[in-house]
Amino acid sequence: MKTFLNILLATSLALSGGAKEIKLLNVSYDPTRELYSEYNAAFAKYWQAKTSDTVTVSQSHGGSGKQAQAVVNGLEADVVTLALAYDIDAISQQARLLPADWQQRLPNNSTPYTSTIVFLVRKGNPKQIKDWDDVVKKGVSVVVANPKTSGGARWAYLAAWAYALETNNHDEAKAKEFITKLYKNVPVLDSGARGSTVTFAQRDIGDVLLAWENEAHLALKEFGADKFEIVTPSLSILAEPPVSVVDKNAKRHGTTEVAKAYLNYLYSDEGQEIAAKNFYRPRNETLTGKYAGNFSQLKLVTVDQEFGGWAKAQKTHFADGGIFDQIFQP
Amino acid sequence: MKTKLKQLIVATVVGSQFALPALADDGTNATPVQIPAYAAEGSGGNSAEAAEIKALKQEVEALVQKVNALEQQRGPAEQAATIQELDQKVRVLSRERENDQDAAAALAKTQPKISIGGNGFSFGSGDSNFVAQLHGVIQLDSRTFFQDGGNNGNDGFLLRRARPIISGTVFHDFDFNFTPDFGGSTVQIQDAYLNYRYDSAFQVQAGKFKSPVGLEHLVADKDVLFNERSLATDLVPNRDLGLDLHGDLFGGTASYAVGVFNGAPDFSSASTNVSFQDGKAFAGRVFFQPWKNTDVNALRGLGFGVGGSYEANHPNTNSATGLTPGYTSDGQQKFFQYASGVYVSGATWRVSPQAYYYYGPLGLLAEYVVSDQEVKKAAKSADLANTAWEISGSWLLTGEDATYGSITPLHPFNPHNNQWGAWQLVARYAALDVDDKAFAGSTYADPTKSASGATAWSVGLNWYLNKNLRADLSFSHTVFDGFRGVASPGTVPAQAENVLFSRLQLAF
Repeated sequence: MKTFLNILLATSLALSGGAKEIKLLNVSYDPTRELYSEYNAAFAKYWQAKTSDTVTVSQSHGGSGKQAQAVVNGLEADVVTLALAYDIDAISQQARLLPADWQQRLPNNSTPYTSTIVFLVRKGNPKQIKDWDDVVKKGVSVVVANPKTSGGARWAYLAAWAYALETNNHDEAKAKEFITKLYKNVPVLDSGARGSTVTFAQRDIGDVLLAWENEAHLALKEFGADKFEIVTPSLSILAEPPVSVVDKNAKRHGTTEVAKAYLNYLYSDEGQEIAAKNFYRPRNETLTGKYAGNFSQLKLVTVDQEFGGWAKAQKTHFADGGIFDQIFQP
Repeated sequence: MKTKLKQLIVATVVGSQFALPALADDGTNATPVQIPAYAAEGSGGNSAEAAEIKALKQEVEALVQKVNALEQQRGPAEQAATIQELDQKVRVLSRERENDQDAAAALAKTQPKISIGGNGFSFGSGDSNFVAQLHGVIQLDSRTFFQDGGNNGNDGFLLRRARPIISGTVFHDFDFNFTPDFGGSTVQIQDAYLNYRYDSAFQVQAGKFKSPVGLEHLVADKDVLFNERSLATDLVPNRDLGLDLHGDLFGGTASYAVGVFNGAPDFSSASTNVSFQDGKAFAGRVFFQPWKNTDVNALRGLGFGVGGSYEANHPNTNSATGLTPGYTSDGQQKFFQYASGVYVSGATWRVSPQAYYYYGPLGLLAEYVVSDQEVKKAAKSADLANTAWEISGSWLLTGEDATYGSITPLHPFNPHNNQWGAWQLVARYAALDVDDKAFAGSTYADPTKSASGATAWSVGLNWYLNKNLRADLSFSHTVFDGFRGVASPGTVPAQAENVLFSRLQLAF
């Protein structure tokens, strides 16, 4: 009987041909569409040359928090490339699809590239927005996504909060007041960063977009430098979007090997260069120099330093009943 | 507002020269500038004063003009600001509506879906990972035999099939099917299986389902051309218990199925879980449609392949003989059965080369079957090879394309709109030959009770009212060979069989 089953399997594989066709699902956050579109093609080429197998990577994009919940609820991602570690932690904790120490499995805390939050304003900067203080002024309309659902929006919120602390002797009350003013200037909250870009750039709403650095550059590239300009604030936050294999899903799909290779390749020279070309700050220092012109120099604080890590930041600011719920009334 | 502003400027400029009435405190007084009567008259005082007044008057008028000009400049700016503000509000509202619609669309994807239509009833999760479907087939037949030698009781109406079909998907990749049959005299489970789809090329199915051997046998019951399948299908196994590996390769141009089953005699189904043998039967089939995805229209519908089965021991049937209960004619009358005391004693194998061809309204299907059995009776044994073949053709008269699957009328029946559904002519020729060795010395079969072969032709007209309703009428003529018995009522092979079939079918 066992022999027969082996024959069946061997026959099937023989009929299917030697090279395999592999499908991967990468569940990512909103603004990485262009990055992974280019990266997936490069990886498929690399993997085929290495193994003869054809790999097709499907993408799913949305607000990072929403995407994480989708995976928790059954979206069968082989890998996740989300905006912040907390969202992958949520997948680990709520669905047990990957181990708690997932972040230790790849270099740089599993963050192959970084980014930050900058301002995108309309050409000529009619409201003269130069730093965070200008963003909270009365009459300035600010576009940013909902930090409950968007990773980028959480980074933006924390960048503003860090600035308020920095300029108010770390007075939490004044920081809360500052962030309250900021969100009073927000006319519409999108669920993800790409939605905010659409709101600002295509729907012509608002005076300033609090944007991922890569998203701001992409808007310039797509809509023209004659329409928008990037303003770099004096202080922002070091955004570290991490990546991980979703172990149980990959195991079930038989894609563990290729999923690991897919993420490892992000650290390769080619992977890093694709990230840099798409305005993500590469970890590779050689490339950092090569693409220095793409990235402004500014003071960057980290979540760990300023907020005691993502778990604490999430609980204090974004959990139900947290500060964001207190200061923002839709 | 404009008037007020104008008054303010004029009052400021002229106020020091004249005692003008003050503006109302609340600023709402629209009283025009009042120049004293004497000045206005211009001729009552000395000429110097009059000239001065005139000059001042001109100056005031010039200022008023300037104010007007300023107002004209400032007005549009204010208006633009207002318009811009309103524009932003409209844009925000519009964007919020967009976001709401996106959220509603995303939510809809997670909501359960219910659909009712020509393909049955379907209930599914929003992501389609879980789907339950309810289908059904009801066939009400009639059979009318002519010149049947006085055989009573074979004419009549019958509920040929009455099958609610519950099928669906769980966890995205696992399909199931449960098909009981309430037609006939006993309730039976026709199909009950689970199918795992790794991908289209690799699927594993386990349970009770059709053995992958006969081409005509694998046509869905609701799609067969005639009320009953041909003599060729008498020699292939029917539904059996087991598991198989199957899939489509190379874009569907090739398909395969290979499996292990309990084993079933010719045209018999596994009807119980009783096991008579430890040995198992292997069945498989490969089928090719090389031009399926090409532009060669005339060859796209050509498919050919071969099916077969092998079992080392006698079939696992509740009949201890391991033999078929018999071969039946188109009219489902038994014309052959093995003699008592005969049983399978060795290997049984079948081979069935098969092909079909569909091109426009034309459909052709042909297959040949050899069913070889080693049998024994007392001390005697023999290797018997029974053979059968058939070719059937169909022609759709109303423009539809013929297919191995279901016919969907181009114009479903609606007499009010002069639509009459799809009409199809069908014809078939088939023959079955029992190995002559079976009758040698009347050892394994009795020629006074059984025929050694049968040849049948059939013609018919099928009417597809719509996707779900179908009405068929056909006639079948079968002649039997080798019968040496005495003609008497109830002796089927004593005379040719002539039977008129009709069918009314509901399938959804």
